[in-house]
Amino acid sequence: MTHDSERPADRVSRRKFLVTSGAIGAAGLAGCSGGSEETDTPEPSGDGSSSDGSDGSDGSDSSSDGSDGASSSSNEPSLLTGEGSSTVYPIANKGASYWNGNAPPSDGEYWGSNDEGSVPGWSELETDMHLADYFATQYGFEATGERSNPPYRATIGLSHSGTGCEAVTSGLVDIGNSSGPITAELDWSEEEANEEVVDHVLGRDGQPIVVSQDIYDAGIDQLTAEQVRKIYQDEITNWSEIGGPDQEIFCIGRAVGSGTDTSFRLNMLGDAEAEMPGVDTRQGQNQGVAQLVRQNEGAIAYMALAFTGEAVRPIALEFDGTVYETSKDAENTIFDSAYPLNRDLHMYTQITEDTPNGTDMREGAFCRMFLTQFGQQVFVEDNNYIPLPTADIEAEMEKLPDTA
Amino acid sequence: MATNKQRDSDGWQSRLASRFARFAEFVQDTDNDAVAVGALGALSLVGAFVGFLVTSPYTSVFLAGFLVAVAYGWVRHQELAARGVTLAMTVSTVVILALISFFIFYEAWPILADRSGTVFGVPIPGLELFTTTAWTPAEASPKYSMLPMIQGTVLVTIIATAVAGPLGVAAALFISEIAPAAVREVVKPGVEILAGIPSIVFGFLGFTVLSPWASDAFSLVGQGTYLFVGIVVGLMALPTVVSVAEDAINSVPESMKSGSLALGTTDWQTMTAVTIPTAFSGVSAAVLLGVGRAIGETMAATVMLRNTPRVAEPLYNVFYGFDTLTSLIAANYGSSSGFQKDALFVAGCILFVSVLALSIGSQLIERRMDRKVGGVE
Repeated sequence: MTHDSERPADRVSRRKFLVTSGAIGAAGLAGCSGGSEETDTPEPSGDGSSSDGSDGSDGSDSSSDGSDGASSSSNEPSLLTGEGSSTVYPIANKGASYWNGNAPPSDGEYWGSNDEGSVPGWSELETDMHLADYFATQYGFEATGERSNPPYRATIGLSHSGTGCEAVTSGLVDIGNSSGPITAELDWSEEEANEEVVDHVLGRDGQPIVVSQDIYDAGIDQLTAEQVRKIYQDEITNWSEIGGPDQEIFCIGRAVGSGTDTSFRLNMLGDAEAEMPGVDTRQGQNQGVAQLVRQNEGAIAYMALAFTGEAVRPIALEFDGTVYETSKDAENTIFDSAYPLNRDLHMYTQITEDTPNGTDMREGAFCRMFLTQFGQQVFVEDNNYIPLPTADIEAEMEKLPDTA
Repeated sequence: MATNKQRDSDGWQSRLASRFARFAEFVQDTDNDAVAVGALGALSLVGAFVGFLVTSPYTSVFLAGFLVAVAYGWVRHQELAARGVTLAMTVSTVVILALISFFIFYEAWPILADRSGTVFGVPIPGLELFTTTAWTPAEASPKYSMLPMIQGTVLVTIIATAVAGPLGVAAALFISEIAPAAVREVVKPGVEILAGIPSIVFGFLGFTVLSPWASDAFSLVGQGTYLFVGIVVGLMALPTVVSVAEDAINSVPESMKSGSLALGTTDWQTMTAVTIPTAFSGVSAAVLLGVGRAIGETMAATVMLRNTPRVAEPLYNVFYGFDTLTSLIAANYGSSSGFQKDALFVAGCILFVSVLALSIGSQLIERRMDRKVGGVE
């Protein structure tokens, strides 16, 4: 990451760095940007001089860049910076890594498609531009057409939700990542928050209720919040009491005192200090929960969506009269922020005089990347977070500046 | 009283005086530079220790001073330096043990003080941890009882000993006394390899194969039983028992066995009447070492148990496995704070004390058997 932060400030140091460290440096750069680890590595050496490779391994216009480092950077947009919550960090940082990698559409693994495969959601993109180029050009930036050389770079720092909120409101960074609403983090009123920042929700952290395959097959595909509470508080101990088979309930919880356990007590049982005498076993990790649900009959658990599957079935939940369905396209879904076990992951941008909308072009293009089917799958779901339902993606798109 | 004291202090003083005289003689006889370097090394080591305790940035300076002293001493006076360094190493081992035991109890103290109870008007710290049965750290009035975990550890240890003890001693006897040399050459290293299998592998096998099977076979709600954790832990302790018991049986003098055989006994009679009684101290030490391993086993228990501390009823119900002292620590250390963390240290204290008792017990047994059979006194 230190290389990333130095690079835009001083192109010479970056070239020097590559000259001195040679192939190792190139490999490290590819690792940092996360987007270009195959086929291109021999190219810099093919150019004959390693200094030519410094401005992108394609080397297509390396001579002009090499002789006159300022030619392309004179009107180049500045670095996009972000920092904040460790919960949002995996999403934002993976996004930034992909962005900086600026993989070509022929890559197949990080962007685009080739005969080995294509990235998720490629059918709705289908472009012949590089990754960052594709999103940046929609906001009027010039495409570079080079791997590892996006129109502007993005870096994400790691701190805390509150620190991220403070940093964005004081203008230190462009994007403040927070796992809690800024109103809670900085003790602001709703109005103050609406005046100061724009809240981009690009994913959710949450836990659907899951049951084992035998229970799902027996017709339990929906429970009420009251039933879940009674199961976890030992008032219901057999599935037959709620219309299921005659099978004792194997009730799985998470480690006492963990954030997941506390939020389950708070949101499902109504009190962060509620009793949970019904829990038969507690697991520290999602993987353990999934394995237990797979191996045991009559199991119920709450766990990250990414670990659900054939034998680990998420079910619908009725909460305060609303049924949250498992389908992504339903009116109320388990992907909604209103679903009691979910919380929004925020990326805040500051409203300034230059950007009354709160989101400038650089931030807009970056955020847009997350709001595609590709971004939701790769950055959100693959990191074990909950992707946004269709309706929310449309609402989030509204907050971004209009495309050029 | 006064005369007693007088006499005692006399003896103490004269002992100190003679020790002092000997030390002075030693200093006199030794080269000046060796004495200086030895003093420098010792002082730097003490300084480094103090610096470490108060987390001073100068700790590294003292440590460097010690290393320089050792290096100089090693080049110039190797024999003296070796004596000094080995002494320092031994002392530091003891100091580390003392520091760890102090720290465990120090960390556990807040909850012990908070949950004290009174017996006949005498306050006993931590009594409440052993008179209630609920472990509910996240609730409005949190309760921390050690009893569920103690029950778990006791059950797992008993089952593990029942598995590892007879199997291990029998295997040791076979390897050492009955098996032909060719078999021994293969089996002995095989047993030692078994000891090298990481505990998580056993735990994983238990979690994915044994526990689901037990859940089906005994119609249990979900998986996790003390019975199978005990069996798995017993298998893990088996190599220890076999190795140590085999060494003990092997060390029985051939002359004793030959003498017995010469009197006309069979091989089996020699084994039961001479070999095993003679090696009994070593064999029981082997079993106790196995028990120690079973008590301390963490990974397999954490993976296979349910991690929901509660007392199984009836008390000997081994078909539901909730938590042991070790798995409690392993499953909760990351998300605990305040009293919950202190309670984990209490679990550590209990483990520490029981393993200490076991180790002292095994040494006492060994000494007693040495006196009785070996004629060593």
